[in-house]
Amino acid sequence: MSEILDFLPVPTLVVQPLGDSYRIQRASSGLLQAWDRTREDLVDKDLFVALYQASRTARFDRIPLAYAIETAVASRALRLCHAAYISGDDTWTARITPVHKEDDLLCLLLQWEKAELHVAVPDGGMSQSWLPIDDAFRILVHAVKDYAIFLLDTRGNVVTWNTGAELNKGYKKEEIIGKHFSVFYSEEDLQRGKPDRALERCLREGRVEDEGWRYRKDGSRFWANVVITAIYRNDIHVGFGKVTRNLNERKENELRLVAAYEESSRLKNDFLANISHEIRTPMHGMLSACSLLLDTELSEEQRETANLIDESGRVLLQVINDILDYSKLAAGRFSVQSDVVDIAGIITSVTRSVRTTLQPGVSMHLDLAPGLPKAMGDPIRYRQIAENIIGNAGKFTEKGSITVQVSVPAEDETTHTLLTKVIDTGHGVPEDAAAKLFEPFTQLDTTYQKRRQGTGLGLSISKSLCELLGGDIGYEHNPEGQGSIFWFSVKLDKVKSPATATTDPTHGVDEPSRSPSKSQSGDAAVQLNLLRGIARTKRILAVEDNIINQKVLVGMLHGFGFEDITVAGDGSQAVSILASEGHVFDLIFMDISMPVMNGYEATVWIRSSGSSVPIIAMTAYALKGDREFCLEKGVDDYIAKPVNRQLLMQKLLKWLCRSDSPAHVNGESTEEPAIDCQAIPQELVEA
Amino acid sequence: MAPAEAQPDDILDSSLVDLNTFNQILEMDEPDDHEFSTSIVFGFFEQAQETFDSMDAALKEKDLETLSSLGHFLKGSSATIGLTKVRDGCEHIQRYGKLENIDGSPEPDEDLCLERLTEAISTVKKDYEEVETVLRKYYEQFD
Repeated sequence: MSEILDFLPVPTLVVQPLGDSYRIQRASSGLLQAWDRTREDLVDKDLFVALYQASRTARFDRIPLAYAIETAVASRALRLCHAAYISGDDTWTARITPVHKEDDLLCLLLQWEKAELHVAVPDGGMSQSWLPIDDAFRILVHAVKDYAIFLLDTRGNVVTWNTGAELNKGYKKEEIIGKHFSVFYSEEDLQRGKPDRALERCLREGRVEDEGWRYRKDGSRFWANVVITAIYRNDIHVGFGKVTRNLNERKENELRLVAAYEESSRLKNDFLANISHEIRTPMHGMLSACSLLLDTELSEEQRETANLIDESGRVLLQVINDILDYSKLAAGRFSVQSDVVDIAGIITSVTRSVRTTLQPGVSMHLDLAPGLPKAMGDPIRYRQIAENIIGNAGKFTEKGSITVQVSVPAEDETTHTLLTKVIDTGHGVPEDAAAKLFEPFTQLDTTYQKRRQGTGLGLSISKSLCELLGGDIGYEHNPEGQGSIFWFSVKLDKVKSPATATTDPTHGVDEPSRSPSKSQSGDAAVQLNLLRGIARTKRILAVEDNIINQKVLVGMLHGFGFEDITVAGDGSQAVSILASEGHVFDLIFMDISMPVMNGYEATVWIRSSGSSVPIIAMTAYALKGDREFCLEKGVDDYIAKPVNRQLLMQKLLKWLCRSDSPAHVNGESTEEPAIDCQAIPQELVEA
Repeated sequence: MAPAEAQPDDILDSSLVDLNTFNQILEMDEPDDHEFSTSIVFGFFEQAQETFDSMDAALKEKDLETLSSLGHFLKGSSATIGLTKVRDGCEHIQRYGKLENIDGSPEPDEDLCLERLTEAISTVKKDYEEVETVLRKYYEQFD
């Protein structure tokens, strides 16, 4: 048997499978003679090494034969592999016959015969080709200028070249024919085996498409879309067709589009920010005017209309504020302040205000972990998030309860992480909508609830704010049935020195009726003189709704020598006085709880109108955190009720002596007013 | 020369009136009359009566919100004069009306709050009457 094989006239190789590779077991004499090789050259060698080791493109050369063997073995049938071996000018086609015993592959019989010659001709085609090219098609393809269309042989060598290929790749036909197609790839792609994989995949799948950089003859690159198709004739794989399209222009356009998009989005955000700011000021004016209108005698119908204006105005203002925040956040221009944050105080105050808006039958619970820290962060932003999340729970819960939990799940050397959870028994959020909750301009519409007022920006703003504060925000279903859990976390810096967290001892909150000590009464006389010296030239606006308090405050101010005192009964009166008289006041005393327009709203209006007049809040609130809240709203200082005369004098000196410099939030001690008044002319002081 | 004036300390009980605060008001009087402080104190009497009437009406209506703001309102003026007990009573009314306990924690039980309000209003009236009597007595000496 072995002799028969050796002397078979057809050039034959017997190949044995050995793991993943194939080893040549026998080679017929006819083969050695035809290929002019020795038996030692081939026998006991790896098949692919023996056949292709001399070729520079060995890694591509083996691809068609390896694939043919793989399919022959898999299908247990004869396979042909065109041009699997080249000796001299001859190209040999392999006829592969797998030999099985039962399910085991014993060996492969590779019988070789000369393939037809293909000769490249100058017009880019082949006169006598094994590749099936019709003359007419060849002319058509050759004429295409925008696409490089060319054929490769089974191993990836270029066989044809059209005008488009010449224009796009920069190679002349005579330079490239016979060269391997891998020259179009970058070194990096070659190392990663990209062209090899393309051919292998193409054989398996018949077609492969890719986008990437390709290189021209001069080394420049272009972004290409490449389609490689395997070509068969009579079921024999004979080569590859390749169509390359230059997408440089498209790629550049894409980049230009991205840049244009970014630019326009920036312009949009700038526009939104500017326009919202511009709208806000007249809106405040309109709302104040409307409050005044509501204060007058109105017929039923007129009152209804004015109420409508008022309500719509407030909704509009909220929308504008949301948009302003959103655009600032989107533009990355949102600044975060660092101040002492009293979490318990803020949450208590927010729940207090949301509680007034709850629907009947809904209860609200507050669950603050013991020992919540005071820490450094942005109290206004924290409050804004809390207002949004808790306010939403209030809006969307029609029965049951709302629970607000605050805990400190983590802390390290410098920070506390605070987790705030709001658990409600409202409608909850459908699964598919949950993913979109925090996207801007999203409002969930369901059949059983009418659309809520607002921009749908609240949660998206809250999310951005949380991220700014080093935390996160999220939603989950209420595991106890219907409803939602919204949670958000923020990271707050620990307070470095304990002194900064304690309230100033001269501050009114802790000792509202503290009387001056003996040593201070000497100073008091000096202070009173100083104050009397400047009082006559100063104008003061006192905003207070209780007539008794008005009288006492005015009496005290008269006692200090003030003559020009204007009294307003509530915030909207104050606003209209300011609107009609202009910013003529040197100082404003502002009661906080007042009907119609409270002191916070009035302060916000005054600040948004551009005035930096010192505003001193007066309130009987004794809650901790209220002072911070006053300061947050744009108030400069704070005095507790009942107003202590001595303290009032100090505050007046402090703020009136500084009234030329811009008012600034200042929680500092009020003990050194005299220093600030050094500049006052002596004759005034002694008057 | 007029007989020596009784000082507020002699008449007014410091548990009813915060003397520091009340003295601040007396100090604003001109040396020879008590017009200013009289107008404040008697103005307050009027205001308190009116407020109590409104409270009674609101209580009948079970209007907690109004009760809370009335409490706040009277708290402000009573504090200004230094009427400590009345001020504290008003603060209780303010809290209960807001569905809160005295310490500011939430109290969702509306009926309980109403019950407490009824009690607090009657207490505050009693405290008020007591302090009104002594204040009137104090001012009688100037007649």
